[in-house]
Amino acid sequence: MNAPLRSGSESPADLARLRLDVAPLAPTATVDAAAEAFLEAANARMLCLPIVANGRAVGTISRHTLNNVFLRRFGRELYGTRSVTTLMNAEPIRVSLSAPLDDAARFVAARLGAPITEDFVLEDDGRYAGMGVAVDLLSALQQRVDSAFTALKASQAQLVQSEKMASLGQMVAGVAHEINTPLGYVRNNVEMVASLFEDGVQTLGEHHKLLDMLTADDLDEAALAKQIARCSDLGASLADPELLADTRALLRDTLHGVDTIKDLVVNLRNFSRLDQSRVAEVSINDCIDQTLVIAHNAIKHRLEIIKRYGENLPAVRCSPSQINQVLLNLITNAGQAVGEDGGKLLLKTEADADWLRIHIQDNGRGIAAEHLAKIFDPFFTTKPVGQGTGLGLSISQQIVQAHGGTIHVVSELQRGTKFVISLPLRAASESALAA
Amino acid sequence: MSKPTLLLIDDEERILRSLAMLFRGQYDLLATTDPGVALRAVTEQRVHVVVSDQRMPQMRGAELLKQVRARSPQTMRILLTGYSELDAVVASVNEGEIFRFVNKPWDAAELRDTVAQATNISASLFAAGPAAPPEPLQTETGQFVAPEVARPETILVLDDDAEIYHAVQDIVGTSQPVIWARDLDQALTALEREAIGVVVSELAVANHSVTGLLKMLKAERPEIVTIVLTPFADVSVFIGLINQGQVYRLLPKPLRRGAFSMSLASALRHHRVLRSAPALRAAHAVETIKAPEEVSVATRVMGFLSRMRRAGAAT
Repeated sequence: MNAPLRSGSESPADLARLRLDVAPLAPTATVDAAAEAFLEAANARMLCLPIVANGRAVGTISRHTLNNVFLRRFGRELYGTRSVTTLMNAEPIRVSLSAPLDDAARFVAARLGAPITEDFVLEDDGRYAGMGVAVDLLSALQQRVDSAFTALKASQAQLVQSEKMASLGQMVAGVAHEINTPLGYVRNNVEMVASLFEDGVQTLGEHHKLLDMLTADDLDEAALAKQIARCSDLGASLADPELLADTRALLRDTLHGVDTIKDLVVNLRNFSRLDQSRVAEVSINDCIDQTLVIAHNAIKHRLEIIKRYGENLPAVRCSPSQINQVLLNLITNAGQAVGEDGGKLLLKTEADADWLRIHIQDNGRGIAAEHLAKIFDPFFTTKPVGQGTGLGLSISQQIVQAHGGTIHVVSELQRGTKFVISLPLRAASESALAA
Repeated sequence: MSKPTLLLIDDEERILRSLAMLFRGQYDLLATTDPGVALRAVTEQRVHVVVSDQRMPQMRGAELLKQVRARSPQTMRILLTGYSELDAVVASVNEGEIFRFVNKPWDAAELRDTVAQATNISASLFAAGPAAPPEPLQTETGQFVAPEVARPETILVLDDDAEIYHAVQDIVGTSQPVIWARDLDQALTALEREAIGVVVSELAVANHSVTGLLKMLKAERPEIVTIVLTPFADVSVFIGLINQGQVYRLLPKPLRRGAFSMSLASALRHHRVLRSAPALRAAHAVETIKAPEEVSVATRVMGFLSRMRRAGAAT
C-alpha cells in the first residue's frame, strides 16, 4: 500500500525534510525491548516504531498497542518476552520519499484512524528510509496553504488591476472618439479661418498701398485706378455675405467644439476623481450623470436613457471612482445587452432612512436562468474569448460589498435585466474603501 | 466643364459644415447626415468621391461604403473616423475596398489633396466606362473556381508558417503555381523571376517586417494584389497598409479556410481586371511612405525595383 509515486513534481525534498531517523527494531526483538525503545528520549515523539528486516519495513509496533496489552492484567508477563512481530501492525502506512507532499498528506490522512495511533513509514525505492509524523505533515501542508493563499491574493489583485485597465482602455477609446470629432472640425475651421485671415491681411496691405498712393505728392492716375480696382476686388471676395455668414458659423462651431472638449475633460476628471480624496460625500445622481458622459460613446444610438432620479437624496460617503467604475460596468453591459435599436435604459435612484438604492434596468436580451446564479463569479462570461475578462461584475460586487452594500439582479430572457445596488447611508469603515 | 461631385456624410452637422467650407467652390457638394440619402445620391447621379464618418446611428461608415461600392464602383471611398476601431478598419478594407482611411482630426491640406487625387481617379474610371463585374470568382457556396487562362500567374506566399503555403496549394490545386518565400530576399527573387499576380503575406517574416515591401510593391506594381494574413491586429499598421499599400484583404490568423479561399479567388480575379485595364490600377494609387524605418527597408527593395524597371525598359 504505497502512496502514489510521482517523480519530478514540485519540491521532492518536502517529505525528506519531515523524515525522522528512527532506529528500527529487528523482527526478533521482544515486546519488552520495544517498550524500552519507546522510553528513549530520541523516540519520545513517536507513536510507533518500525520493524525492519533486510532493509525493508515489515511492520510497525505502536505505543497504543503496547498500552492496551500492558494495561491488562499480566499483560506484560504474558507478552513481554514474545517477539514484537506478534503485536505488530503488518500493514503500516508506507509513503515513498519522492511522493509530493499533497499526495502524501491525502494518502496518510485517508488511512489514519481516530485516535491517531500511527506514524508513517518512509521508503526509498521500497527500502526503509525513516519515519514521518502526521502532525509534521499537517504543519508542512499548512505552510503550503498559507503561501498559496498569499500568491492567490496577489494574483487576484493583479486581475482586479487588469480588469480596471481593460475598462479604462474601453473608456479611453470612447472618449478619444468623443474628443476627436469636435477636434476634427475645430482644427479644420481654425486652418480655414487662418487662411481667410491671411487674405484679410493681404487686402489690408493693398488698402494701405492705396492710402499711400492717395496721400503721395505725385499721383499716378493710371496706377491709382488699378489699385482701386484691385482693392475693390479683394474686398468684394472677402466681404462676400455668404462667406462672412459661413465663417461666423464656423467660429461659433469652433467655440462649441472647444467647449465640448472642455466638458469631456472635466467629466473625465470627475469620473476618475484622480484629483480628489478617495472617500468623499457625493451625490449618487451626479455620479450617474458623469458615468453617462463617459459611457456615451458605448451607448449612444443604442439606448434611450430614462432618468428617474430621487430628489433631495442624501449624499453617500463612498469612494466615487469605485462607484463610478461599478456604474460604468453596469451601464455598458446594458448597452451590449440591447439590440441595434429600441433599447431603453432606466436609471432610478431612491432612498429610505438607511439605504440608497440605484436601479439600472434595460430591456435587452436578458440573462438565462442557468447563467444568472453565476454572473458575479470571477471569470464567468458569455462573451467570446478575448472580449470580456469575466471580472467586471465580480469586481463590481466586491466594490459594493466593500461599501457595506449589496447588489441584486433580476432578469428575464428577451425582456431585460435589472440590477439594484443598495448602499448604506451610514458608511462602511474608511479602511474598507481605501483599497 | 461641370465640377466633380463630392458627397460628405457625418452624423455631426458641424463636421459637415466644416468640410463643406473646405471644399467649397471646387466641387458640387452633397452633404447629409442620412445614409439613405447618400445611397440614393450615388445611384442617381455621378458621385466622384464619398467621404464618410465611421460611427453613425443608422449605419456604420464601413457598411455604407460597401453599399456605395456595390452601387457605384467608380465612386472613390474615403473613411473619416474619430477612433480607429479594429473592426471598422478591417471591414473597410475587406468589404468597402476603400481608397483612404483618414483620422479625425485631419490635416486640411492633406485631405484636400487626397480628395483631389480620388476625384481624378474616379473621373478616369467613369470615363473608362462601366467597370468590370465586381464580384469575384466563386460559386454560391464560396468554392474556389480556377479561371481558365493561358498563362496562370503565380501566387507568392510570404510567411514563416508552412501551413499557409500548403493551404494555398490545397486551395488553388494545380491551376496556379505557388511559391513560398521565407525572407525578404527570397520574396524579391521570386518577384523578379516570376509573373506574380497575388501576394499572400504575414506582416513579418524571419523577424523582419515586410510591410515596407508590400507598400513599395503596390506603388511600383499596382496590378499585384495583396492579401495580408496575420494574427496581429495593430490598427495603425493596418491603416498604413491601406493608405500606402492598398492592401486588398486583411484576414486574421488562425486561418479560416472558407474566407481565405474566397479572398484568394477574388484577389486573382481582381489582379486580372487590373492587368487588363490600366485605368483601374490608378484606383489603387498609394500614399507616399513617411515612416523612416520603412524607408530603410525601402532602400533594399528599391534596388530590386530599379532592376525590374530596367528589365521592363529593355523588353
